[in-house]
Amino acid sequence: MLSFKLQSWNAVAPGLESKAQWRSWLERPFPLSSDLHKVSLTQVSPILRRRFTELGRCAASAALPLLENIDAVPGVFASRHGDTPLTLSLLEGIAEDQPMSPTGFSLAVHNAVAGLLSIARKDVSEATSIAATENLIPLALLEAVTRLQEHEQVLCIIYDVPLPELYRPYAESESYPFALAMRLSRREGVDMVLEHGLHHQLQSEEASDLLRVMRLLCDLDGTANFRSGSGVGWSLRRKADAREN
Amino acid sequence: MSSLQLEVKQMIIDALDLEDIEASEIDDNEPLFVDGLGLDSIDALEIGLALQKRYGIKLKADSDETRKHFASVNALAALIQSQAEQ
Repeated sequence: MLSFKLQSWNAVAPGLESKAQWRSWLERPFPLSSDLHKVSLTQVSPILRRRFTELGRCAASAALPLLENIDAVPGVFASRHGDTPLTLSLLEGIAEDQPMSPTGFSLAVHNAVAGLLSIARKDVSEATSIAATENLIPLALLEAVTRLQEHEQVLCIIYDVPLPELYRPYAESESYPFALAMRLSRREGVDMVLEHGLHHQLQSEEASDLLRVMRLLCDLDGTANFRSGSGVGWSLRRKADAREN
Repeated sequence: MSSLQLEVKQMIIDALDLEDIEASEIDDNEPLFVDGLGLDSIDALEIGLALQKRYGIKLKADSDETRKHFASVNALAALIQSQAEQ
């Protein structure tokens, strides 16, 4: 069992930018646009802003509001698929014998978003970029909580954009771009517990892990149990609710 | 402003996604990198690629000569001019 404090969080998806918007959408869901409207990212200089693809804009627009008064914070950057639309366009270029764009190549790596944010914020704190097929959210939190051993606070950010059509038969993705940024702290915030153990009943079978964690953050559920093939899995909950669950 | 200079500026804007910048805002003589326009090393590679695609010019990645060609719009225009005359 791992304990940490959640100091603040911010989540972004098309049309959903505040806790109130998320909460009302979770209660009465409707299909979200698959395009993130043009996020302005005014915190980033125009010369750097042009380097942010949709994935980066999504992640940065969730993370930057949490970091306004913080000079340096280590980060855990978690994305299931990374910048698959960009990677696919580079692969298509190779197939057509086109020379590859150096910018496109440099931005297609999994830690590109961490790098761009580091440059934008002039923050040289360590950053880790991870991917996971299952349990991306709890594993990102596990990595971030581990970082709390050495740091007062850690940024944990989970983000993805929809897979290009070509890949959809082979893997799952949300049908809309999203990013969830969380500031974990040793001392300040809501007490949370991350636990790996015998699985409790999932709240609803069809909901994705993202929706489960968003329901927890929006106070609609006390616990988020993450999907697992076996009977053993991860759960995240507020400490105050520990006994009830 | 000659048409070649304008062409170079438009090539830079297109190749580097400089959506917010107009060709008229780029000075023919100002440095393109670090100072002036504020481009970086990845932009240099991207301009190198654009020169190759559009004008068939191949440059060595890290020679002093290449640095001179990349100093300003005028220097790039002179390079393209000299290649065309060869």
